[in-house]
Amino acid sequence: MVLEKEILPFFQWLLRGEGATVAEGEGALVLFAVVLATVFVLSLVGGFLVSLIRHGPIRAGEIAYNTLTVGFSELARTSPRRIGALASVAAKDSVRRRVWVALILFGLILLSAGWFLQANNTQPARLFLSFVLTATSYLILLLSLLLSAFSLPGDFRTKTLYTIVTKPVRAGDIVLGRMLGFTLVGTALLVVMAVASWVFVNGSLSHTHKVDLETLEALRDPDGQSLGQQGLSSYDLFHKHDLTLDPDGGGVVEAAHGHTHPVVKGGDRYVIGPAEGFVRARVPKRGKLRFLDRKGVETARGISVGSEWGYRSYIQGSTQAAAIWTFDGVKASNLVDYEDGGGSYLPVELIVRVYRSYKGEIERGIQGSIQLRNPDTEVKTNLRTFYAKDATIDSFQFANEQTSTDQQPITILNDLISEDGRIEVIVQALDRNQYFGFAQADCYLRLPEGSALWNFVKGYLSIWMQMVIVIAVAVTASTFLKGPIAMLFTVAFLILGLNRDFFVKIATEQSFGGGPIESAVRMRLQMNQMSPFDPSPAVTVMQSLDDLLELMMLGLSYVLPDFSTLLGRVTFVAEGFSIPADALARDFVVCVAYVAGAAIIGYFCLRSREVAK
Amino acid sequence: MPGEAVIETRALSKIYRDFWGRQKVRALKALDLEVNRGEIFGLLGPNGSGKTTTIKLLLGLLFPTEGQALVFGKDATDVSKNEKIGYLPEESYLYKFLNAEETLDFYGRLFDIPAEVRKQRIDELIKLVKIERARKRQLREYSKGMTRRIGLAQALINDPDLILLDEPTSGLDPIGTREMKDMILELRDQGKTIVMCSHLLADVQDVCDRIAILHQGELKELGRVDSLLTVDDVTQIRARNLSDACQNELRDVIARHEGELLEMDNPTTTLEDLFLSIVRDSEARPGRRVVGASRNEPEAVSAGAAAGDGE
Repeated sequence: MVLEKEILPFFQWLLRGEGATVAEGEGALVLFAVVLATVFVLSLVGGFLVSLIRHGPIRAGEIAYNTLTVGFSELARTSPRRIGALASVAAKDSVRRRVWVALILFGLILLSAGWFLQANNTQPARLFLSFVLTATSYLILLLSLLLSAFSLPGDFRTKTLYTIVTKPVRAGDIVLGRMLGFTLVGTALLVVMAVASWVFVNGSLSHTHKVDLETLEALRDPDGQSLGQQGLSSYDLFHKHDLTLDPDGGGVVEAAHGHTHPVVKGGDRYVIGPAEGFVRARVPKRGKLRFLDRKGVETARGISVGSEWGYRSYIQGSTQAAAIWTFDGVKASNLVDYEDGGGSYLPVELIVRVYRSYKGEIERGIQGSIQLRNPDTEVKTNLRTFYAKDATIDSFQFANEQTSTDQQPITILNDLISEDGRIEVIVQALDRNQYFGFAQADCYLRLPEGSALWNFVKGYLSIWMQMVIVIAVAVTASTFLKGPIAMLFTVAFLILGLNRDFFVKIATEQSFGGGPIESAVRMRLQMNQMSPFDPSPAVTVMQSLDDLLELMMLGLSYVLPDFSTLLGRVTFVAEGFSIPADALARDFVVCVAYVAGAAIIGYFCLRSREVAK
Repeated sequence: MPGEAVIETRALSKIYRDFWGRQKVRALKALDLEVNRGEIFGLLGPNGSGKTTTIKLLLGLLFPTEGQALVFGKDATDVSKNEKIGYLPEESYLYKFLNAEETLDFYGRLFDIPAEVRKQRIDELIKLVKIERARKRQLREYSKGMTRRIGLAQALINDPDLILLDEPTSGLDPIGTREMKDMILELRDQGKTIVMCSHLLADVQDVCDRIAILHQGELKELGRVDSLLTVDDVTQIRARNLSDACQNELRDVIARHEGELLEMDNPTTTLEDLFLSIVRDSEARPGRRVVGASRNEPEAVSAGAAAGDGE
């Protein structure tokens, strides 16, 4: 699966980020404090200026002072009972507004998906999972947006707020009550959707096969002893499996379309059981990737095979070019025992993007090699060759006992893992003028698999966190904006958050075509992105305005939630990878930070607003 | 403690502005007012005179443009003052999807009242405002009068010391109006301070101890109702069973003392009294047509005489 940004360990992310120390200020906590302080100072100065114009300097100073002192003492006096009461009314209001219609809609989506989605590709689980997760995400985000953006403005309009703010209710109670109420409603809906999705995915993929008797062939050892039979399963759900039947009753169904089946002998019949392993939660141990170029010289990246996405880079076949992953902290416990008890192995998985410079034999994969190396002693295993198919996961089981390139018997534990626990995996392409493309996340050591159900729940938790952020932002926006405007504000926040990287690129002038105004002018004049403008006062003005806008955009980018990362978490589930605990913890902290920040801003906005105006 | 000011406004002014800060309406002009503990204070005035603006300023629903409003000695924008306040808005702005019990429970929770106390108070209030039979019905099904009643109940959920009533009798039938007025008087007797604003002058006259009359945002009159309404140069005599001769004699006496006789005739009762007596009679004896109940009242003669100098 694609992992564009490395997931840092939680505390490293929280305290120092990519920097070496906390003082470098790249830790999330430091950034949060800086952003909060900036927003605070800007709001205070802004509020003071508005009061200055309206009431003059003395009254403005008094208002600013009161807002600060009374504001913070009131903020501390929010009461759980009041928040609970307001939350329950918000929830009842949502039910009254027929929020459950969303469930009917979701049911219809699943019904039509059941009709149109077909398991006729090699990874049907990915298709079904990504469908249900994406559908849930968008539906729940839209729903929470509509609920929360219109609620408070509705209360302003119907004046029901009059009877609430004339009770000892603090503005913070109202803001938090709304957030909590809508979160509860959204959570209830999300739970129903999650259960329905789980049932739908498993139900849609559930199938079994029969043994295709006509394909069965007897297997015999050189002495003529029967080793069982091999053949094919029946064709169901757009695929069939190779299978081997043991004479003593068991059997093995080879994996196809991302799953396998158990075989049991019931009386004199072989019975193929239900599908297993469709929904998975692989736990990878990731390493660091570096490349060798075609002459064997070390480089940070491979070559580019054209105007492609820069995530992967390529190595050329039949040259010294190689991709080398170094894994840290490899221990004896990373080796897995074979099921039949014959020793242990190191599970390595590899995803290869294949770039063919000529078509070749299209049914056959491109040949590559993989070997393990000790980074200190440079002892390597013999080449192990494989045929790589594009974008599929190849699993390798490296037995502990290996033979080195100089034909000496070695073991992974004693000879290939360095003293400080490192091991290297070297991959090369063997076919001339064919290319393998890799990114760091494409090779990993498999750790014991996590629970697929829990991983599915984690996927829904990340949707839940997005929902909570949207609710927090929308409720806060509705404290100072009318319903439709609050909704547009939140949608803009959401869209900018989804495209945050691009937004930052424009703000930091890394994108082509200049800032927003320059881009608009280029479009109007049908100019390309690169050709320079002739110098003129108008161009100077345009670029100065762009500089100002870019500065504002950069400032704004600090408060934009990284929705694309959050939305990307469901890809883990769809691709069958466990969502790392570090990522989940980080998302949760980000979510809490947004709720806290939004609640404080919402509190001050609502407090400084005349309810009866 | 009588005479202790519960509400105090000092040069309280409110100017409504548009989005650009331009003045639209000057709703209240330098209002100075004091409301003392234990009195019923009426704010009177035609529509748009600033009554509701004053109440909203006192509640902190609006912020004053100039001046200050103090409630229990605290600034009106201080939320903690609301602990001791009950407010019945002009129309009952309640959640229509809740029933009476849920509504009162909701507002009780906003006062942080513990569950048991809340339950007890809800029962008492539902009985007080006489909506026992509709306690489980959603407010959307309520008539206007019932909505006023539940509105009053929510205003009393915290057993407030100060009650602000915006048009308390609007939308009520005569019985409801009478009951509302009785309740207001009863609350005053319990030592509570009540501020009501209304343009139904009769209601204000019936219950208020003191009134302020506002017009176009300015305070025009302020004082005790009885002293404001007393007409100093007119004397009223009410007597029962006077013969025609006696009435003539009285006329002569007034003429002899150079007084001007304004009126000497049989009084009429008010329509309110007539209506109430019919309804009460009907409740006591259902099924019987009650006509002319007031005719059984003993005949009375009232004379209004403008007394001469020295009277």
